[in-house]
Amino acid sequence: MIGCGIDAGSRAMKIVLMDAASRSIVATAYADQRPDQDRLAEELLEEALKSGGAKDRDIGRTVGTGYGRQLLSRADTSLTEITCLARGVRNQVPDVQAILDIGGQDSKVIFLDVKGVRDFMMNDRCAAGTGQFLEMTADRLGLSLSELGRSALRSRQPAAINSTCAVFAETEIVSLLASGITPDDLAAGVLRSVAQRTASLAVRRISAPAVFSGGVARIPGMGEILSLALGQDLIIAPEPHFTAARGAAHIACDGLDEP
Amino acid sequence: MASDESPLDYFGRMVDNCYDYTEAARAEGRPVVGIMCEYTPREVLFAAGAVPVCLCGGANETIPAAEQHLPVNLCPLIKSTFGFHVQRSNPFLEWADLIVAETTCDGKKKMFELMSASRDMYVLELPQKADQPDALAYWTQEVFKLKSTLEKRYHKQITDGDLRAAIKLVNRERSLKRRLANFMAQEIPPLTGRQLLEFKSLISGIEADYRQYERAIRLFESGWAAPGSPLAQKKDPPPIRVLLSGVPNVHGAERILELIESAGAIIVAQENCTGLKPILEDIDPDAPDPIRAIAEKYYHLPCSVMTINARRLETIRELAARFRPQCVIELVWHACLTYDVESGQVRRFVEEELGLPYLKIDTDYSTSDSARLSVRIEALFETVRSRQGRPPSRISA
Repeated sequence: MIGCGIDAGSRAMKIVLMDAASRSIVATAYADQRPDQDRLAEELLEEALKSGGAKDRDIGRTVGTGYGRQLLSRADTSLTEITCLARGVRNQVPDVQAILDIGGQDSKVIFLDVKGVRDFMMNDRCAAGTGQFLEMTADRLGLSLSELGRSALRSRQPAAINSTCAVFAETEIVSLLASGITPDDLAAGVLRSVAQRTASLAVRRISAPAVFSGGVARIPGMGEILSLALGQDLIIAPEPHFTAARGAAHIACDGLDEP
Repeated sequence: MASDESPLDYFGRMVDNCYDYTEAARAEGRPVVGIMCEYTPREVLFAAGAVPVCLCGGANETIPAAEQHLPVNLCPLIKSTFGFHVQRSNPFLEWADLIVAETTCDGKKKMFELMSASRDMYVLELPQKADQPDALAYWTQEVFKLKSTLEKRYHKQITDGDLRAAIKLVNRERSLKRRLANFMAQEIPPLTGRQLLEFKSLISGIEADYRQYERAIRLFESGWAAPGSPLAQKKDPPPIRVLLSGVPNVHGAERILELIESAGAIIVAQENCTGLKPILEDIDPDAPDPIRAIAEKYYHLPCSVMTINARRLETIRELAARFRPQCVIELVWHACLTYDVESGQVRRFVEEELGLPYLKIDTDYSTSDSARLSVRIEALFETVRSRQGRPPSRISA
């Protein structure tokens, strides 16, 4: 039997199909979000089934997560990203103490202990600490997100970004560029400001092992910058944007008949 | 049941009931006096023959009008109240002959100044050092001055007998509300927290309300379960028990309660001014100096404006022992600085002393963040359920 996890995130939809017995990943699929989310889920699922050589009837249970979790008619159960992220990470790093997740429209810090999630903090009010802000900056500089990361890695002197609002930060970026700040320093400054905002979410000390997940963790250099802001080494989750979907797939597998 | 109508249906018409009551009271020549906060001693207003009406705004719709005069970054309760003022859209405010306010917070205090340009307003100065005998003496003096002001204004001498009668009246109201709230201590409560909040009135001292409170108590004692309540639904697993602390949920601003309870929980106690906070303590009607006794009861209110507000943490401890919550959610209206700053102490107390998960919600009256708040609330409940090895009885009684 296969457990299916669907993460209907604010920016992208992620699907993970997992074999219930071996807990190995059968297939994954990823696409940008669309207004007709339910249809997108069906198309994406079909794609995943095809690439994994599986049939719809093999799916024993589907768990939905992400902002669109309540609107997935496919899902048998819906759970928040907090629970799914924790599960997705704990399966790989069983003694994980903290998870830092930066997604398209929010960022989270989750604290865990032996029993699982102990506490969490979320920034969901302000785009300046999220992937959206990085996309906007990359756009402004004519770069892709990974180019933005590589550009930041070349910087010797990251620019100071003071604005606390993504909209005003955009104005600040324009004036910084006009004043002769190099795109590399600007990119590094923006990455650092997102890292600092995420670090400031944590109400208590982050201890090791700590894991960095979410789409933003794919950006080259972001892990180092966040780890510097925290004063703590970070493990970057494998395929970090699939972490919540992987956790959802694990939960879907729980209780499915094992051969 | 005595009639087909449940007490909940009766309180569903609360604003209309208050409207009719006020019209009748005005016809008898009783003045309407608006109040803005639980620190205002209703007993003194009753003793003066007035009808005290709560004017705190709970409507998002009146906020844009208020923002033409007030900063956007201000507590929604203050803005909503002021919006009703500029729009002249709250009939009770328009009927008010006088508004009795107090210096509970800076935002309110300055808003009252603007309001007083066109309305009669009397402001009580509330001292803020919680356990200072001088501060209580000063507050007693303030309550005494309110009494003198009302005597002059309404040409009536307020006797100790009047005050004692008013104390008994409001004691009865507090006692009825406490008895209703106590049903939430049951393992499977016969009403939801949102339904408990329905048992309220903008106007204190309405005999018809008291009879409905009594009727509701008899019904619940005889095993009645309000529709949709845990006792009526008998869900397995039972809903998660939540203690809600922080700012008040005034009439019209019940969204957070609804978000919490729709996520599979039940609010078993509200440690706030629309919940148990103002009704925990009664006043001795036979106290030698009734004004002092009244002042003392009100001065004990554990509002975050007090420093140091240790009584609030003790109240949370007592309520947690009695109502056995599995987690604590603290609500802070956006830009309510005192509750916001104090929330750090509450978090530490709840996590370390009570051993319970804690979640703070900082929001306003708009519904724009409901989906995002639901993620936090649901994640909290998923966490509570997944950790259920931890017995809620870890709270020391």
